[in-house]
Amino acid sequence: MIAKVTCYALQGLEGVPVEVETDVCKGIPAYEMVGLPDTAVKESKERVRSALKNSGLLFPMNKITVNFAPADIKKEGAAFDLAVAVSLLKASEQLVGVDLTETVFLGELALGGELRPIAGLLPILISAKGHGYTRFVIPAGNAREAAFLGGAQIYPAHSLSEVLAHLRGEMPIPPLATVTFVPHLQGKNSADLKYVKGQPVARRALEIAVAGGHNVLLVGPPGTGKTMLARCLPTIMPDLTFEEALEITKIHSVAGVLGEEGIVSERPFRTPHHTATVVSMCGGGNRAVHPGEISLAHGGVLFLDELPEYHRSALEAMRQPLEDGKITVSRAGGTVTFPARFMLCASMNPCPCGNYGSADKICTCSPAEIRRYRRKISGPLLDRIDLQVEVDNVSYDDLSSLEMSEDSQSVKARVDGARRIQNERYAGSGIHTNAEMGERELTNWCRLSAEGDDILRAAFERMQLSARARSRIIKVARTIADLAGSETIEPVHVFEAVSYRIYDKLA
Amino acid sequence: MEYSEEERAIIGLCMTADESRLSVLARAFSELFDPLSGEKICVSMIEKAAKRVYKDEVLPSEAERNAAIAGLESHKMFAVTLVSADYPAGLRAISDPPPVLYGMGNRALLRRRKFCIVGSRILPAWAEQTGRTIASDLSRRFTIVTGIAEGGDRAAIDGALAGGNLICVLPNGLDIAYPAAHTSLQREVAKRGLLLSEYAPGVKTKKYAFHARNRILAGLSEGVLILAAGARSGTLITAHCALEYGRELFALPHNVGAAQGEGCNEMIKAGAWLCTCAGDIFAAYGMETEAPPRIPLSEKEERLLAALKEAGELHAAVLAERTGIPVFEAQATLASLEMKGLAVRAGGNRFSAI
Repeated sequence: MIAKVTCYALQGLEGVPVEVETDVCKGIPAYEMVGLPDTAVKESKERVRSALKNSGLLFPMNKITVNFAPADIKKEGAAFDLAVAVSLLKASEQLVGVDLTETVFLGELALGGELRPIAGLLPILISAKGHGYTRFVIPAGNAREAAFLGGAQIYPAHSLSEVLAHLRGEMPIPPLATVTFVPHLQGKNSADLKYVKGQPVARRALEIAVAGGHNVLLVGPPGTGKTMLARCLPTIMPDLTFEEALEITKIHSVAGVLGEEGIVSERPFRTPHHTATVVSMCGGGNRAVHPGEISLAHGGVLFLDELPEYHRSALEAMRQPLEDGKITVSRAGGTVTFPARFMLCASMNPCPCGNYGSADKICTCSPAEIRRYRRKISGPLLDRIDLQVEVDNVSYDDLSSLEMSEDSQSVKARVDGARRIQNERYAGSGIHTNAEMGERELTNWCRLSAEGDDILRAAFERMQLSARARSRIIKVARTIADLAGSETIEPVHVFEAVSYRIYDKLA
Repeated sequence: MEYSEEERAIIGLCMTADESRLSVLARAFSELFDPLSGEKICVSMIEKAAKRVYKDEVLPSEAERNAAIAGLESHKMFAVTLVSADYPAGLRAISDPPPVLYGMGNRALLRRRKFCIVGSRILPAWAEQTGRTIASDLSRRFTIVTGIAEGGDRAAIDGALAGGNLICVLPNGLDIAYPAAHTSLQREVAKRGLLLSEYAPGVKTKKYAFHARNRILAGLSEGVLILAAGARSGTLITAHCALEYGRELFALPHNVGAAQGEGCNEMIKAGAWLCTCAGDIFAAYGMETEAPPRIPLSEKEERLLAALKEAGELHAAVLAERTGIPVFEAQATLASLEMKGLAVRAGGNRFSAI
C-alpha cells in the first residue's frame, strides 16, 4: 500500500512542500530511499527503525520504498524523520482510517521515539500557511517559536507515540494558543547609555546615526569604551514591529540560532570576529545556503570591532548589501536571497599603537605607518559610513555637570520623534530613513540655503573634504534638523554635520 | 638649455664621476672660487682641478659627458653650476657648496629672496596649521624653501604651493620620489614651483643625503623657521647650519614638557627669534607688516574662542560646559571656527586656538 504525507524543505528563507511517499510491498526485506535525499535524510532510516521499535510499534519486514517528491530539489536535514515514520505506519496499515492529506509533519526523531526540535521551523510554517496548509504537527521544542503564527492549528508533540495517539483520536493534543508579540520580551540587553560616562560627542553621534539610519565609525584609542557605546545602539533604536520581528526570526530560525523565547523581540546586535570570512559574513555553505552575519544583523546592528583587522575581501563583499539591503548568494545548491538591511557600526584605533591624538600618551607611529593602517579601509566602504566620530578618554573630572548621563529611554524618545518625521516625509516613496535618500530625494527635501551652500563650499576648501562627502554631509544635516524639529536645514546643522567627517581629513 | 663652456665642463665632470670621486671633485671645484681673488674661472682650470682628482687615470671622454648633459634635457631638468649667474649667492658662500644643482620647474625662483621653513615629521596640529599660515603669508615676499616630507615640510608646502613661490630640495635625484607616496606631490611642486637637488637624476636616497640636503636648505635661505623639533630631531641640523652660515634663526614656541617642541624651546633660549606669525619674520628683516583682516564672528564663536584661547587646548565637551553651550552646538560652532582658520582639531575631540 502507498501512503503520502506532506513535509517541508527549506530553500533559503522559503519553505518548499515535499511529498513523502512510502510503499510497503511483499518481497525480500529492503529499505530504499529515493528522491535526492542527503546523508542526514538517508540516516533517518535507522532513526525511524529504532523509534518505531522503541515506541512499541512494528517495523514492517517487507520491501519498503520511500520517495521524496519533487525529486529535483535536494533534501537535507533531519526534519523529514516524522513524516517518514508516519507515512511508514500508514503504509504498513498501522494507522487505519486516518486522513493525513491536510496535515504537515515536521520533526526529527530520537532513537527512543522522542521528537527533537528542528531549525527553520518558523519560515516553513509561514510558507506552508501561504500555500494553504493550516494543520501542523511539530516538535514540542519548537512550540514557542510556532506560537506567534496565528490562523493555524499547530499540535506540538513530545514523541512519536503522542503523535500516533493524537492521529488515532485516542488522546488529542490541544492546539497551540497564539501568542501576541511584545517587543523586548526578555529585556536581556543590559546595556544602557546611562552607564556610559562622559563621551558626549560620541553619544550625540550615535543618536544622529540611529535617528537617520546612518552607518557610524567610532575612532578612538583602546579602552575608551567604543564597544560599550556600540552595545547601546539597539537600546535607542525604534521598537520592532511584529512584521520585522517575524522576518528577523525567520533568518535566525534558518540559521539555528534562535533563543529560548522563540521569537526575536529585540533588535539583533551581531559582533563577528575579525577573522570572519566572506562566507560567514555574507552567507553560503557547501550544500544548503545559510544566512551570514549581515543577514543575522538584519533589522539591527552589525558591529565590526577593529575594522582594519578584517579581511579586505569580507569588508568589500558588504558594499553591495549595504546599498541594497539584501544579499543574493549563489551556490551549487541553488540561489538564495536573504534580507540584509542593517546598521553598520565599526570601530578602529586612530593608528597602529592607538595613541594618536591622545592627550596624555605619545603616539609612536610614523606618518607612513598611520597612512598604511588607515588605507586598509577602502574609500568605497568609507563612503558608505556617514558619521565618523572620535571616541576619546576625556577625564571624568573635567565633566562635572555631566555626571548624570542620560539613559537610553530618553534618547530613544527623541529618535522615535525624528523617525516619525521621516516616515511622514517619505510615506509611499519606498524609503524610510534619511540615509536611504537618493539624488532625487536630496533635491526634493534637502535644499540648502545660500548660506548653507557657502558653508559647504568653505568646508571643502578649508578642511580638504573629499568630493563624495558632500551628499553624506547633507543627509546627516537633514537628520540633525529632524532631531531639532526644524523644517529647513539651518547653517548650524550643516556645521555640525561637517564636524562628523573627521576621517575625510585624516585620510 | 644653453650652457657655457665652463658650465658644460663642470656639469659633465660631475655627472660622470662616481660617488667617491664626486665629493673630492666638489671640494676641488669650490676651492677654485676664491671670493677674494675675483679671478675668472676658465675651462682649463676646471680640467686641471679634475685631473688632480683623477690622478693617473684618464678623465671621462667628451662624448660621455655630452651624453650625460643630453640626459638632463630628456628629464626636463636644468643644471645650475658654481659658475652660473643665477647660482644662489648665499649657497655659494658656504664652506662646501654643491658644484651643480639640478632643478626642475621655475628657474626664476633662484633669484628671489628665500626663506626656509622646516619641522619634524610629527608635530602638533596647531603647529602644522600655524606653519601653513606663516608659509602662506610669507610666500608673498619670500620664496619658501623646504624639504619634501610629512609634517613640518608638508605644512610649508601646503601654505606656499598655491602661489608657486616654493622650492623643495630633495636628498635624491629629481626623477625619484622618496617615499613613493610623494610622487604626485613632487610633480605638483615641479609644475608650480621648483625642485632642487645636488644629486644627478637616478641617484637614490642615502641616509647621509638627508643631512647633506639640510645644509642646502639653510645655505639657500636668508633665515630658517623651525616649526617643531624634538631634542634630537634631524631638523636641528638645518638650524645648526643656519647659525654656522650666519642666517637668522626663528622658532615656534611650544608648551613646556611637549617632547615635540623641546628643540624649538632650546633654540629660543639660546637666542633664536621667537616667532608666532609671519609678521615676526617680516619685522626681523625690517619689512612692514600689514594687520591681519578682522574676521566677523558670531557671539557664540567669540565666547568659544575666548575660552579656547584661555585654556590653550581643550576638549569639545569641556569647552561646551565652560561656555554653557550644548555639546552639539559647540561642535557646530567649532567647525565654523575651524573653517575660518581660527581653531584647529588636535585629535581626540580636542581643539586649540591659533
